[in-house]
Amino acid sequence: MTPPPAVSVAELMRPARSGADSETNRDLLAVMDAPGLAYWGLLGFCVLLVHVAGAVWVYQVYEGLGIAGYAHPIFWGVYIVTFVFWVGIAHAGTLISAILYLFRSKWRNAINRSAEAMTVFAVLTAAQFLGIHVGRIWKSYFILPYPNQRGLWVNFKSPLVWDTFAISTYATTSILFLYIGMVPDLAIARDRAKGWRKLLYTALALGWQGTSRQWKAHNRTVLHLSGLATPLVLSVHSVVSWDFAMSIVPGWHATIFAPYFVAGAIFSGFAMVLTVMIPTRRIFGLERYITDYHFDNMGKFILLTSLIVGYSYMTEYFIAWYSGSEPEQTSFWYRAFGPYWISAWVMIICNAFVPQILWFKKARLHLPTLFTVSVLVNVGMWFERYVIIITGLSREYNPAAWNTYTPSAPELTILAGSFAFFGMFFLIFIKLFPVVAIAEMKELVIHEKEHQGEFWEHAHGYGETR
Amino acid sequence: MPTLVGVFSRPKDIGQLAEKLRGRGFTDLEIFSPVPSDELDRALAPGPSKVRYYTLIGGLTGVFTGYAMSVLMSQDWPLIVGGKPAASYAPYTIIAFELTILFGVLMTVLGTFLVGGLPYGKFGKTDVGYDPRFSAEEFGLVVRCKERDVAEIDALLRSAKAREVSLVEA
Repeated sequence: MTPPPAVSVAELMRPARSGADSETNRDLLAVMDAPGLAYWGLLGFCVLLVHVAGAVWVYQVYEGLGIAGYAHPIFWGVYIVTFVFWVGIAHAGTLISAILYLFRSKWRNAINRSAEAMTVFAVLTAAQFLGIHVGRIWKSYFILPYPNQRGLWVNFKSPLVWDTFAISTYATTSILFLYIGMVPDLAIARDRAKGWRKLLYTALALGWQGTSRQWKAHNRTVLHLSGLATPLVLSVHSVVSWDFAMSIVPGWHATIFAPYFVAGAIFSGFAMVLTVMIPTRRIFGLERYITDYHFDNMGKFILLTSLIVGYSYMTEYFIAWYSGSEPEQTSFWYRAFGPYWISAWVMIICNAFVPQILWFKKARLHLPTLFTVSVLVNVGMWFERYVIIITGLSREYNPAAWNTYTPSAPELTILAGSFAFFGMFFLIFIKLFPVVAIAEMKELVIHEKEHQGEFWEHAHGYGETR
Repeated sequence: MPTLVGVFSRPKDIGQLAEKLRGRGFTDLEIFSPVPSDELDRALAPGPSKVRYYTLIGGLTGVFTGYAMSVLMSQDWPLIVGGKPAASYAPYTIIAFELTILFGVLMTVLGTFLVGGLPYGKFGKTDVGYDPRFSAEEFGLVVRCKERDVAEIDALLRSAKAREVSLVEA
């Protein structure tokens, strides 16, 4: 070791050099730069559509649920279909963040933040549909167990109450998961922002400095949140499926429902992540961070879950035939060849057949193909819920009570509004918060540098000469 | 108290140095790191994080609350079907499960705040020696020491490949 240089305290007292920034920070924070005209146009369109849907909803509150296309005995329509759809979309974020974290799949780093954000916005969108579906929105708090003067409690044996617990737990968990994971990145933004953004990030970064004490607690927290979120994500769509499976409606009353819904949720969630991330990557030039490798993996995931969903369809039909139960057999015959045959075949083709193209690596790496598949899967998954709910209710046991349901214009407007609501939040998020997990990306960059450094040191005897 | 900051580009150097400094009795150390690193965690505070106790307590509270709430409330407002008991444990397991997760998550987040010294430990301000470079790609080791040790620590920092050493507080 060289002897210590003779330095005086005064000599050492100098202002810290203005920091060099890292490329990763610059690239990924640049996404939050002042948006262009196209962004404002798209955001404006979403906000407008949300307002139109909001106005229709206010009209529905005033008029009553009569303006929905309900036809006795079909009182679960587009609202519940859309609720289940959005809860399903909400599954990919937690899957990518929690389950792939536990499996130490490093490829999740580029997409986990956006997927987590989508989870939060999808849950918020879904939760609204419970209120919209109830009709008398001012009574929706009846589902919560709260002390009231009548001494009345909710019925804990009802799947609807389980749903309340599952969805509210899921919303809380996904918001906290997103936020806790984002704190180190908010500190990065805080150190570089000016004006009101500096104020915002300073408040949200909670004084994060990346001390070893903070990192240690943070790592442990992310691990535990992942451990807790993994069974949660599997439970949420199971509970949603039990809303149906606990009833005696033919086509609903099946034990396969929980795994079938969970696989479908992950399937549709991944498709939504692709639908959103393919344009996002292109618009913001994130090709260096979100690579073909990521899309390849996502494509494989979609293929896997598509196979599970396709297998579930076959099982459903097989069991309906094999059960010998006439209502069950009739219900499934009616699904495929009744008045809702278009919906049923859209569902089967989009979910079970179209994704088979992803067996080919060329298709997984060809983004227009992947994007088209993802959009078709989203369409197919919406129709899956439509088929299950509507065909189930329209042909129950008593032929005298059979009826046909057609979605009404207000319902479809509110459905369109839900996409705008989701899009609006995502667009705002993209400009306010780091959409790629910067610290986690940097971990990969530094790791790589470390290994190159070691190689260099070894080859040139760096350590000895110093 | 004199405070020295060494800027490093590799976490490995800093981890070994921190252990060395601790061995020599300089224990008032702080590491600033842009990324999580097991080495750095071990260097300053060996052993697993205490956040796990918070998760455990939260989870146990949740499972207890879930069963207690559903059982007590259904006893209080009994919906008797077919003469069966008012409380049925199988469906209440779902409530207990969800609350286990909910309380576990909330307590874990509380744990990260308390154990990690967040939030607003020093709201709007940063610790002496913190530099935006440490949220870029560089690592910082802050050592507080007596004036007579400044030269020795400076030498140690430099010998451990510090790119830059500065005295931020005399």
